[in-house]
Amino acid sequence: MPRTRRTTRCCALLAALFLAVAAGRVAAQTPADDFKQSCSSCHTIGGGPLTGPDLKNVAKRKDRAWLRRFILDPAGVLASGDPYAKELLAAAGGVQMPPVAGMTGDRADALLDLIEAESAKERSKFAGSTVSDRPLTDDDVEHGRAVFLGTTRLENGGPSCVSCHAMGDIGWLGGGRLGPDLTKVFERYKDRRRLAAWLTAPATETMLPTFKDHPISDDEILGLVAYFRHAAAESEEDTAPRALVFILLGLAGTMGALVAFNNVWSGRFRSVRKALVENVRKGGA
Amino acid sequence: MGSANHLDFLLYGAFPYIAMVLLLVVTIQRYRQRAYTYSTLSSQFLENRQHFWGSVPFHYGILFVLLGHFVAFLVPRSILWWNSHPARLYILEITALIGGLLSLIGFVSLVLRRGSNNRLRAVTTPSDWILSVMLLVQIATGLGVAVFYGWGSSWFASTLAPYLWSLVKLNPDVAAVVPMPWLVKAHILGAFALVAFFPFTRLVHILVIPNMYLWRRTQVVRWYGTNQGRVEHRKRSAQDQQQR
Repeated sequence: MPRTRRTTRCCALLAALFLAVAAGRVAAQTPADDFKQSCSSCHTIGGGPLTGPDLKNVAKRKDRAWLRRFILDPAGVLASGDPYAKELLAAAGGVQMPPVAGMTGDRADALLDLIEAESAKERSKFAGSTVSDRPLTDDDVEHGRAVFLGTTRLENGGPSCVSCHAMGDIGWLGGGRLGPDLTKVFERYKDRRRLAAWLTAPATETMLPTFKDHPISDDEILGLVAYFRHAAAESEEDTAPRALVFILLGLAGTMGALVAFNNVWSGRFRSVRKALVENVRKGGA
Repeated sequence: MGSANHLDFLLYGAFPYIAMVLLLVVTIQRYRQRAYTYSTLSSQFLENRQHFWGSVPFHYGILFVLLGHFVAFLVPRSILWWNSHPARLYILEITALIGGLLSLIGFVSLVLRRGSNNRLRAVTTPSDWILSVMLLVQIATGLGVAVFYGWGSSWFASTLAPYLWSLVKLNPDVAAVVPMPWLVKAHILGAFALVAFFPFTRLVHILVIPNMYLWRRTQVVRWYGTNQGRVEHRKRSAQDQQQR
């Protein structure tokens, strides 16, 4: 067999082997974990409404086929003009349920079974957030700011908020630009209980995979809620041209590096061949 | 996995393995069959002025940026620890941006040099041109991510490093990649495309230089200018052989 063909076959076999092993190892998740990560930021089971409705006995309010369809594609159901979906949207203050990453029919069925089983209990473990509802203090605001900036590391190893989010009071080069500015986030949630529940299991497609194994602790959430409430009242969203300043600093540094390269290697490298040529011209070998 | 994610799984869950297999098998096969092609065929002798402003900034810039990517992948906690003070985060991000800009300036200079010099065009292969386009796109998307979606050193370490480790553990979890902006996704895809194309290009020189210089005996390379020089060299060579 020619070598090229053997190599091609070897590549194909190895790639197929890798893919078979990888495809067979898709991680399984329990419905309870799924509910905690994907639903509990907006829903309770028996703990009253948050951003979304309380799901206790939801199967008695609407048939299972509709619920399954809504979980799989909330935007699609709403776009179809469904009156019940419109009612839910109005009750949530216009906040539309986001699509749940990787949702399948089997997952939706498992979640609906879980909600039914938890609804039958006197108190579900998903009845609400465990974050304290004591009055917030200035110390809480300071603690929350430190957690946001990362000067106090997150207990469970999660990244600090500043990695992806800006706030109006950070200054310097500001916060990250992957996620939205959070200066007014408290106004959007209106209620510290809702915000705390959301932070317990952040359910956006970007935050869910990042925080599912590194949840924000109750103490950190309390501080962040205090900081967000304070910022919403005291600061404005960060509109300064931070990215432009960042680029200008980068360009200045690049110019500096080029000047340094020029100085360090002024007598070397560039002149190796030139020196040899000049030597030959002067009559050397 | 929902049907909407099949393309994502193919691009970010399957393609990386195809790229890695190509890298391993073809790199070894090329070394065994065509060992003398393991070089980047220096063109410094053909053009030496513009070469400096291309090669030096490009290599120092790209090495620093690649080192940052590897550290964030291998020891993500070290980056998160460093970034735990905003001032340190800003220093790292600005330094990385400088590395990226040096790479861009250097590489654009190298490409222009190849395109504008007849002698260099003659020794440039189609694979070189394809690689040039791929590298330019990769550097441009990387800079775009740094500017439009800062602070990548932190969110890469906490979001994308676990994705890369899931690939290493043969348990690909593309959930972290799927919601990323298209620029970030293009940068990731471009990186694996470069891994796949690596063994077919002059990039293989990364595997052979300057590795041996680290442990081999010192070697003096000199220009024999006079007959006396040649005589001295022969004498020293003979002495060396006797000592051995």
